[in-house]
Amino acid sequence: MGVALALVVAAVALVQARQFALLKHTVTYQDDYVVLSLYQVEAEYLRLREQWATALHDGDGLDRAALQLRYDIWVSRVGLLHNERTARLMVGNADYAEPLGKMDAFIARADSLLGTSQPLPVNAASLATLKPELDALGAPIHSMTLSASHHVSQQIAERNSAVRRHNQVALALTVFLSLLVLAFGLMAMRQMRLLGERQRALVDLTAHLREARRQAEAASEAKSVFLANMSHEIRTPFHGLLGMLSLLRDAGLNARQVDYLRTATESADHLLTILNDVLDMSLLESGRLTLTEEPVDLRDLLREVESLMRPQAQLKSLALHIDADPGVPEKVRADRTRVKQILFNLVNNAVKFSDRGVVVVDLHRAYADDGKEQLEFVVTDTGIGMDQATLERLFKRFSQGDESRSRRHGGTGLGLEISRSLAQLMGGNVTAKSVPGEGSSFSFRMPLHAIAPAPKAELPVASAADPALAGMASLRVLVAEDHPVNRQYMAALLEGMGHRPFFAGNGLEAVQAIREQRFDIVLMDLHMPLLDGVGATLSIRGLPDGVAATVPIIALTADAFAQTRERCLMAGMNDFLAKPVSPERLSAMLRRLFGGAHGPETAPVGATEPPAAGPTPVVLDRATLNAALRAMPRERLAHLLQSFFEEGPEMVERLRVALRDGQALDLRVNAHAARGAALNFGLSALAQTAQALHEGATHVPAHEIARLIQRFEQLLTASREACEAAGLLEPVTE
Amino acid sequence: MCCLAALPLTRAWALDAPTGPIVLTVTGRLRLPNAGAQAHFDMDMLEHLPQHSFVTRTPWYAMPHKFTGPLLRDVLAACGAQGSNVRAIALNDYRVDLPFEDAQRFDVLLARLLDDKPMAVRDKGPLFIVYPFDSSPELRSTVYYSRSAWQLKSLEVL
Repeated sequence: MGVALALVVAAVALVQARQFALLKHTVTYQDDYVVLSLYQVEAEYLRLREQWATALHDGDGLDRAALQLRYDIWVSRVGLLHNERTARLMVGNADYAEPLGKMDAFIARADSLLGTSQPLPVNAASLATLKPELDALGAPIHSMTLSASHHVSQQIAERNSAVRRHNQVALALTVFLSLLVLAFGLMAMRQMRLLGERQRALVDLTAHLREARRQAEAASEAKSVFLANMSHEIRTPFHGLLGMLSLLRDAGLNARQVDYLRTATESADHLLTILNDVLDMSLLESGRLTLTEEPVDLRDLLREVESLMRPQAQLKSLALHIDADPGVPEKVRADRTRVKQILFNLVNNAVKFSDRGVVVVDLHRAYADDGKEQLEFVVTDTGIGMDQATLERLFKRFSQGDESRSRRHGGTGLGLEISRSLAQLMGGNVTAKSVPGEGSSFSFRMPLHAIAPAPKAELPVASAADPALAGMASLRVLVAEDHPVNRQYMAALLEGMGHRPFFAGNGLEAVQAIREQRFDIVLMDLHMPLLDGVGATLSIRGLPDGVAATVPIIALTADAFAQTRERCLMAGMNDFLAKPVSPERLSAMLRRLFGGAHGPETAPVGATEPPAAGPTPVVLDRATLNAALRAMPRERLAHLLQSFFEEGPEMVERLRVALRDGQALDLRVNAHAARGAALNFGLSALAQTAQALHEGATHVPAHEIARLIQRFEQLLTASREACEAAGLLEPVTE
Repeated sequence: MCCLAALPLTRAWALDAPTGPIVLTVTGRLRLPNAGAQAHFDMDMLEHLPQHSFVTRTPWYAMPHKFTGPLLRDVLAACGAQGSNVRAIALNDYRVDLPFEDAQRFDVLLARLLDDKPMAVRDKGPLFIVYPFDSSPELRSTVYYSRSAWQLKSLEVL
């Protein structure tokens, strides 16, 4: 088709070119014009002959000028026949050549009479001589004219026929071209129709596929919804079943029946767990799970997790430590239920996969990659751990560490996937690290939406400068504290305020002391050997002696949990003092209870807040030291520091022993005590290292711990030197 | 064009009488005739009008030739001719009508010299109306070739 089109176009071009050439030919030769010239030659010849005859007739009185003019005009006409163009037309044609020759011959002879050079006199006789020759030209000239006329007619006829031929060819080409165009048009139409059909087919297919996808999605969602509904529906009668089982337990069964019942209850519990997991999973999959954010007390939440998980941990003789960094706000916005669910899952796994050692839950602030603040819960265990392959499979559905494990530990395998999905729904994530045989560490991060804490009743402390509050009486204060350095510190503080301190080394001693003596107030450390603070408080509150049983008891503890505080209050304590105990806080506390200001009356409360864990803690925190100096005489502080530093090597030794024996718990307890003391004296760097030891005791590799202990030892020396340099360790005589 | 046409008119001196043989007779609507209602020119009078020349190809000669003579419009202006057409009449009674404005639009020569030589009657002389054919493709057509009258005898202003 294309070739045909090209051929046709070429043919049309050829015809056009030929026609153009033809036309040009016509214009160039102007044959018609030549014919006119020939006629004029003949006409002028006739006029000359007439003039010639008139001159002969006139005889000697002939009009020479008139004859000359006619002759010249005729000669000029004949001359035109010699013109190149005319000659080209007539070349090789005898009809032209012969008359032209005759005319030229005559002109040559006549020029002797009428020529331009030397004309002879013109008279009748000379004219008469030439007359026959002139007359003889008539016939050849006429035949030449006719011949030219015929020649030109013939040429015109030829030209016309050529034009006609060309027109015919052009017409044929035009017809062919039209047919081609028509064919192309038809083809184009057919293509368009095909294209249209194909497009329609595609549209139909797309609609069909879309419908199919919609149906598939609808089916999948329907399944998820069905699963969700079924799980939910099954749960209701299940709760009934569980309730009945628990009632049955109290129905006076024999030992064997109790055993059966326990097995049944365990199975039912397990089944319920599976159901809950399936329900969560189907809700997550169908996208119907929504988070409901509310203000959440983080420490309260941790306490809840602890209280629920502790029995399980105890069952397996595992230590469970739950700790929150003081930098973590008390309240945040979060979905309490779901956060708790994730924590339960992680802690439960940790307990499940650990046969010895400790499970630690640590809550602190963290930062996401984009710099946003996050909360990070780290659940560390000393369990069986996992290899890399297992870690990679961990968050996949229905996968557990390995088959044997799942048989041994049970579970749906959905737990971690649900936890991670929930965390991601919150905008966080769950990740895991593990070393086979050493334990695992799971990190759950979520965005931190802190809520400003509500103002607390005890915070607006009455101004120490208020004269109405001055002049408080000296109090008898029982301090139940096991750590000797802390004991000395408290003694220094209290004596500085004009009170009389008494000491008990543990809970039992404290209870004993209360029974025997009268005290105005008890400052009770929570962690003590033999009987802890809460236990001692419960005993005191249970004393038959009304006065002794109602003595105000203030809890002292380094952990900042609101939960701890609640436990204290529930046990019957009156209030709570966070360690390190600052003189201001102690003073404010005593004022509130006994209505009088005491002790140093400068320094606003905020000035002696425990130093925040900065990026580069100083060896010696001046603010804290100054506060301590305000609370007690310089010699006293020097003495305290002296004893602290003297006890240093022993402390380091205890840490090393704990590390060597793999006693993570001992390590933690010792590090904790050291941190408290160091904080009291403003030995920030030392306190921080102690805290790192405390936090890392259970999950940091042994060589790291060793390094930390070494650092602790170095800092002890450095701190001592710093204190000496500051003149704080003057020789004491006491 | 107006200015060119108006300039000679403002001169308005009477046309001299011819002293030699008359080579050109202008008849028709003339304001400055010198012989009754006609204007007669001898070769000397034409020679004293501003002379122009150009070389051009023509259909009548194989080679380009130089033509010299007064412009047709100067000749017409010299006798105060005014009209719409100029009829050129040759010695052999060939006649052709030129639009008057041809003389204004083109530098039409009333050639009296061919290659600087006077033209005899047998060489299409003594006067030859020549259009500057080479100056414009428009002129190279039969229409203008036919308007180029040779052996010019007289002009009639219509």
